[in-house]
Amino acid sequence: MMEYGYYPGCSLTGSAKRLDQGVRRLCKKLGHSLAEIPDWNCCGALEYGDRNELVSISGENLKKAQGICREIIVPCPACYKNLKDADPERSFNIMSPLELLNPENLSQIEQKRDLKGQVFFPYYGCLLMRPEGNSIKNRNIMEDTISAFGGDVNGENMKDRCCGGNQLFLNKWATERLSTLILGKTKGTVVVFCPFCHMAMKTFATGRKVVYLTDLLLYVMGESNSL
Amino acid sequence: MIKEKDHEIVFKYTCYRREDFSVCVGCKICASVCSVNDLALNVNPQELLLKLFVGEKIEDDHPLVRYCTSCYRCTAACPWQIRIPEVVRAVKESLGMESRFEKAFKKSLDIWGRVYEPFVVAMTALDLLRGGYIKYMPKWMGYAGFHLPHKVKRLKPTNASKGSNPSEEGRS
Ligand code: SF4
Ligand code: SF4
Repeated sequence: MMEYGYYPGCSLTGSAKRLDQGVRRLCKKLGHSLAEIPDWNCCGALEYGDRNELVSISGENLKKAQGICREIIVPCPACYKNLKDADPERSFNIMSPLELLNPENLSQIEQKRDLKGQVFFPYYGCLLMRPEGNSIKNRNIMEDTISAFGGDVNGENMKDRCCGGNQLFLNKWATERLSTLILGKTKGTVVVFCPFCHMAMKTFATGRKVVYLTDLLLYVMGESNSL
Repeated sequence: MIKEKDHEIVFKYTCYRREDFSVCVGCKICASVCSVNDLALNVNPQELLLKLFVGEKIEDDHPLVRYCTSCYRCTAACPWQIRIPEVVRAVKESLGMESRFEKAFKKSLDIWGRVYEPFVVAMTALDLLRGGYIKYMPKWMGYAGFHLPHKVKRLKPTNASKGSNPSEEGRS
């Protein structure tokens, strides 16, 4: 039972609402509470060439979190990277919800359904894995989680390739090419944790499901309409 | 085109100094993993660093600048972990190569302090129409939903909180 700070970020209030709802429901099920950082602002995503400007925009959120929380859950990988970049001293513990899926927390999950006989491609994309020093520690956390509930996984060598998501509205042919490259070398349901990856994979996958890991876990816990 | 004097802006933006690029050994590992090369565009990030280092001009519409996905595969593979996508991004801004989409994104930040997606879509509607994005709409229904914009009270550092800038130490 923990209380965490929560930084949803812009896309989780809009196109990635599903990820926001999934994280909130999952945390509740695990017995954790989330306190949204008051008046949080955009992290700047990947849109700023001026590093000082980017860090100051991102860092403003940490100032708003001061005195409220030290551990902050940040689902969107771009926000996760930027908030970490804004906190080189590591005064805060910026965490992806993936980092909550440790064996202790997983063992608390009341399993109502299993994933036996189903094939999954756990896809992390870029910013959860790179650059070094910012990445999540357990680089197999999605595989471990899916396997724990009986699912089969594949696509190890494609899991951190780039889907080209941030080119989707600039040069969509580039996103299509990069995403189909990944899709072509993997099989089964694509399990993602990034709003960009979700959109790129969803747009270019044919006949394959694309789901957030949060929704898959809620499915395992027996929630209806989670997938 | 970026001339030599404009290189200073790129260095200022990235917090790199010219001499920081002297460590580049020309191994081209960055090029071997670059996602833009999965698009068969034959780019070499090292060439961009070299141009900045020796002060050579950088041409407009450089394919790496146009297509870099900020995947950080180059950084992860580089022996010096040079943050190449941040250099590319700084060059992109110096060349004025930002798209209408990227400008709308920043405009939204200026107005509300957050990205308000309906605004970005409205500002880029013509590009989306002309670019043939309509065919994806059925797949994108799950992303739609209406909410009013939230206006953030404080976006940029206030004078009182200015002073320490963590980005310098943050460089790795
Ligand atoms: S971040 Fe840009 S330059 Fe580096 S590997 Fe990715 S696409 Fe290439
Ligand atoms: S990987 Fe690093 S050291 Fe090697 S050529 Fe590229 S930038 Fe230079």
